[in-house]
Amino acid sequence: MNRVINVMRMQLTNRWVFIGIPLIIVAASFLLTLVIWSLVPEQGRYSGGAQAVMWYFFALGIQSLTLTFPFSQGLSITRRTFFFGTIALFSIIALITSVSYYLLGLLEQATGGWGVNGRFFALEWIAGGPWFHPIAFYFAVMMALFLIGFWAATIYKRWQATGLLSAGISVALVLVGTLYLIGSRQAWGQVGAFLGAQSQLDVAGWLAVLAVVLAGGSFLTLRRTEP
Amino acid sequence: MNTIIEVNDLTKKYRKSEALRGVNLALQPDRIYGLLGRNGAGKTTLMSILTAQGFASSGEVRVFGEHPYENERVLNRICFIRESQKYPDSFTAEHAFRSAALFFANWSQELADRLAADFQLPLRRTIKKLSRGQLSAVGVIIGLASRAEITFFDEPYLGLDAVARQLFYDRLVEDYSRHPRTVVLSSHLIDEVANLLEHVIVIDQGRIIMDDDADTIRGSAFTVVGSADKVWSFLGDREIVHTDNFASLASVTALGPLTENETRAAAELGLELAPVSLQQLIVRKTMSASSAASGVTNRSFSEAAR
Repeated sequence: MNRVINVMRMQLTNRWVFIGIPLIIVAASFLLTLVIWSLVPEQGRYSGGAQAVMWYFFALGIQSLTLTFPFSQGLSITRRTFFFGTIALFSIIALITSVSYYLLGLLEQATGGWGVNGRFFALEWIAGGPWFHPIAFYFAVMMALFLIGFWAATIYKRWQATGLLSAGISVALVLVGTLYLIGSRQAWGQVGAFLGAQSQLDVAGWLAVLAVVLAGGSFLTLRRTEP
Repeated sequence: MNTIIEVNDLTKKYRKSEALRGVNLALQPDRIYGLLGRNGAGKTTLMSILTAQGFASSGEVRVFGEHPYENERVLNRICFIRESQKYPDSFTAEHAFRSAALFFANWSQELADRLAADFQLPLRRTIKKLSRGQLSAVGVIIGLASRAEITFFDEPYLGLDAVARQLFYDRLVEDYSRHPRTVVLSSHLIDEVANLLEHVIVIDQGRIIMDDDADTIRGSAFTVVGSADKVWSFLGDREIVHTDNFASLASVTALGPLTENETRAAAELGLELAPVSLQQLIVRKTMSASSAASGVTNRSFSEAAR
């Protein structure tokens, strides 16, 4: 347990990566959005800029494996300890980010959209419902993105380009196959209705299932990966 | 004696080649081992498997009596910084040392600071901007300051200048005498490390071709120089490692210790006797092993042996 916490501390040795840069991304995309809002009419002041930091999580997932995993091996850390420490750290950061987004969303609504009727943190579909709905949604999105990056990087580390290529082609085949099935049964209307009926909590649930599968896959792949 | 590393019939196969073939080893605590061999002989592969960073194809490995894979009881007591060790992109040497301090129970920050000063290592520069020598220094410092019970150094001198290399050897011996532990030093600069080593393991093409006490190895061969017929009659049926002919003169390296009588006999015959350095012996052994393996006789031995 102690070593799991130490893995978190190791990942945080350079605070800039996990704390400084995400803060800058959020602040920068928010400020830029404010500038853009001043240029557009009041009814169009929506922004998806809040997702910028979530894509950074995807990149962090890749980086924390490709470079930090070999380093952790040099420090005689087991693969299991490295995995749980890294996932735990990401969960904590994702949770902090989600709660901050929720609180900033409250502030946004209380100030009449930052005084200019803008929507940045509290996009309607996400921010509706009780407090834990948007938090669960943000959290699940970030964990899924992080784990996609993490698993992809693990596959690359273990089987190099061949592995990543096979995995990419498999995922593409599954997606195309699904689209084909829907199309051949002329079920697009039903699918659209189904997707339209999902609340943000439902989506969070689907993403959570995906994240658990990704985490399991990452762990099994990492078990036999050489640094 | 208690064995801290035990290896039985270890093999490692890659798709097209064999990196290790039937390796057997037993390492004792509190000694300095040299793991010597050419580039690509299997040194790094062997150390990777011993530290569970890599995986064996078959065979058995025991470290402190247990299998090291995912075993914190074992890994906690080991340090292996590889020659091509990777560090997180954003890390400086200081970050790397701070991280290492979290995981090695015997970590000495004092020693790390002193070594960093010795190697003139810029602590605040990101590691990816360091020169090859400075990068090696980071690994050397983690290895030494970890004071792990078993410390592996994988070609630690790459890119280090002569002064820095000497500093490393000096600090290693100094700290080893105060804090005894098992050190495995992989190297192909044999002469430089020869004096440090208490035990020598030579690996060639994935096979262990020598595994003996350093002093025993040093006394295990000699070179005799003189007129060819006298040299050959003196040597009798000794095992010959290497022969050089210059016109009627011969310089022959042969195995086996010499008795006092033999030394005197050589002097009476007008033959010159010379000790063989560890490096020469290993180079010749390696070459005879590989020519035996490939069935080719290599005539340019002396050039490589220098």
